[in-house]
Amino acid sequence: MFQVVNGLILLGVVAAVLYPFLNILARSFSSEQYIVAGQINLWPRGFNVTTYGHVLSDPVFWLNYRNTVFYTVTATVVSMVLTTSYAYVLSKRHLRGRKILIWIAIFTMFFNGGIIPNYVLVSYLHMRDTVWAIALPNAINVFNLLVMKTFFEHMPPDLEEAAAVDGLSTYRILWRIVLPLSKAVLATMILFYAVAYWNSWFSAFLYMDNPNLFPVTVYLRNLIAGATSVANEQMNNGTQLQIAANIQAVTVVLVAVPILSVYPFIQRYFVSGVMLGAVKG
Amino acid sequence: MNKPSKRQFLAGAGADAVAAGLGACSSSGGGSGSGGTAGSMSSYAVGTQFKATTPLTFSIMMLSNPNYPYNAKWPFFTDLKQMTNVSLNATVIPGADYNTKRSAIINAGNAPMIIPKTYPGEENEYVAGGAILPVSDYVHLMPNFQATVAKWNLQGNLDQLKQSDGKYYLLPGLHENVWLDYTLAVRTDIMSKLGISAPQTWDDVHTMLTKMKQANPSVFPFSDRWNQPTPGGSLLNILSMSYGTAAGWGFQSPNQGAYWDAASKTWVATGAMPQFQQVVQYLNTLHSEGLIDPESFTQSDDAAIQKFVTGKSLVISTNAQSLVNDYRSALKIPGATVAKIPMPIGPLGAVIAENGASRLENGVMISSKALNSPNFTALMQFVDWLWYSDAGKMFAKWGVQGTTYTGSIADNTFKLNPNIKWAGINPTAPKSLQVDYGFFNGVFAYGGSTAFLNSQFTPEELAWQNTMNQRQLQPLAPPAPLSSQDQQSVTLWGTTLMDYVQQQELQFIQGSRPMSQWSAYVSELNGKNQAQLVSTINSATTSFNKKFG
Repeated sequence: MFQVVNGLILLGVVAAVLYPFLNILARSFSSEQYIVAGQINLWPRGFNVTTYGHVLSDPVFWLNYRNTVFYTVTATVVSMVLTTSYAYVLSKRHLRGRKILIWIAIFTMFFNGGIIPNYVLVSYLHMRDTVWAIALPNAINVFNLLVMKTFFEHMPPDLEEAAAVDGLSTYRILWRIVLPLSKAVLATMILFYAVAYWNSWFSAFLYMDNPNLFPVTVYLRNLIAGATSVANEQMNNGTQLQIAANIQAVTVVLVAVPILSVYPFIQRYFVSGVMLGAVKG
Repeated sequence: MNKPSKRQFLAGAGADAVAAGLGACSSSGGGSGSGGTAGSMSSYAVGTQFKATTPLTFSIMMLSNPNYPYNAKWPFFTDLKQMTNVSLNATVIPGADYNTKRSAIINAGNAPMIIPKTYPGEENEYVAGGAILPVSDYVHLMPNFQATVAKWNLQGNLDQLKQSDGKYYLLPGLHENVWLDYTLAVRTDIMSKLGISAPQTWDDVHTMLTKMKQANPSVFPFSDRWNQPTPGGSLLNILSMSYGTAAGWGFQSPNQGAYWDAASKTWVATGAMPQFQQVVQYLNTLHSEGLIDPESFTQSDDAAIQKFVTGKSLVISTNAQSLVNDYRSALKIPGATVAKIPMPIGPLGAVIAENGASRLENGVMISSKALNSPNFTALMQFVDWLWYSDAGKMFAKWGVQGTTYTGSIADNTFKLNPNIKWAGINPTAPKSLQVDYGFFNGVFAYGGSTAFLNSQFTPEELAWQNTMNQRQLQPLAPPAPLSSQDQQSVTLWGTTLMDYVQQQELQFIQGSRPMSQWSAYVSELNGKNQAQLVSTINSATTSFNKKFG
């Protein structure tokens, strides 16, 4: 009985989460007249790929897509290196000044400079219009840092001591012993960071002045806002109307699919990684 | 080595933060120079083609519109360079968040010299920081701007932009006439079936709706849109205009719910005006007779459009663009036709006012740093030519004669090149004026004479505009510039007041509060700082008139 009720409730949750996705997917393949009349639910009506053709043939879309991939990879690598090093250091209870280091990290969770001081700083460091404006200011996510620290703290100290006796330096212990045993947490963190960078648009919007450097999220955001605002344009021709009707849905699908398809591969690390980090043993 | 204590560390960090803040202020507060004349034309006047004497580059903030994203290779830029010897170095900002980034850049002291696409009023937040130039001190460098203001009698509008120092900081786009666009769209096929002629007045609208209801008792003939963020934004705006008050989109203009009463020459509280009550009463009548959809003031645009295009309603608010894009294209009922009716006339007669629609358009701010540039005069001449001269406006809007268009507007022979499309013109042409050429870009092209504006209209819209242009323009409100402290209080009071007025107005219209309680409502407004708001604005006008009037 309990299982049945549980199953039903969870099915309801699944439906509520899944419906918007399927609806967007259906809209992206539907024709304009059904979309305007609000007749699209889960299945496309009047199957149509005009808008896909339009977006996929836009060179700016591809340019921005390439930027997103580049920014996501670079920023995730930077974040992982910095977060791992910081977390590993913090996990060593014998380290002097460890508490100060932790507080420095925690402090940034509650206080930050605000948009304009950050903008001034990034400008003075000549990082505008470079990938560093995206990768460096938010390189360490304190939540991720603390999860990782907890994970490292629960690593049996004997392993590292044994390695030290065998003559490995601190860096080699981290590289050869600790990291290979931390695949779960590493995979989880990579996923967290990659998704965050993939979806982020604000720092790119703020620090990039050249449209050839925008990530695809800025492209998408501009499209959505442009389609809902009153544009000074009269559209009479069928193709334009079709594109206006579902360009948002199409772009959302194109932007979300790659990052969504990463999840199944990381799923098993993901679950164990989050649990390991959170539960005190 | 001495370890710094926690306290020392924090104090140091604090001092750094303060220093950074001061640094930002001092850099943005620059502009003490007097402006050089290098590269400028010594004999620049109305009718002169501006051409810098040496090649110049000006930095500009550039809004990138999603419908025609910025492209550095647009012929617009190359032709501009050829004509004026000026290249533009663009900071490109996606249109969706233009204002956010504009604020960040200006406040950080990084603003480009030319900051376009700024709507009147948006410049206020930068005035105190000193980052933008009081352009009114330099309009003597701009002959076209001055000539246009004089010719179209726009000094009153410019006065409204003045800050408490008597200067204005924005070069607005200038229109010869108020460009009105919003009105009601009606199903003309139903009207001719029922033998109704096009309504002229709001009473005619009432009669028309009544007949529509009689013919089809199960529907609400009128179901409206544009309810976000202001319920009934468009409808209340045009209705209140014809009654001599302001509501809906116009409620906050020009002054946070205070309305200039030309008869008594004072500001009065908009929400308490007897005319405001008449507007509410009119809609209340429509509502109680079942002529207007109860969801009319709350539903989403999509819901309202769906009702209209599926025949569940017969009247809806519109503008020229929605008429074509939202209604005509989606209206699939056989034989159904839809048209804009002239804005219905109210008790005030055939008048229009600059409520929500002004003769001032978005315009250009100039960074204070430009004053330190050796090319300051050339910059002002360039801005004057591109945005305010007839030749510059024609170039920004329609491009180059013989290439993108032929003929001229003056003798009515203007014609877009048949290979180029813009909006409804040449819809099947291979190239787009905006996407492929960079002309008719919202950053550069707006404003102008009525004939110039008319060149972009379809014959149907042109007829509508001609009807509206025959109406009498109401007198303008005087300037009421507020100190930044007063501005804050007024905004604070005005926002609460507006929320309350809108909420109560809906209750009166929908009958959930009886009209008999109107005087109780008026006294409730006074509990919401209405009196302070009105008197602050009144004294601002008085002291402005004393100082500069």
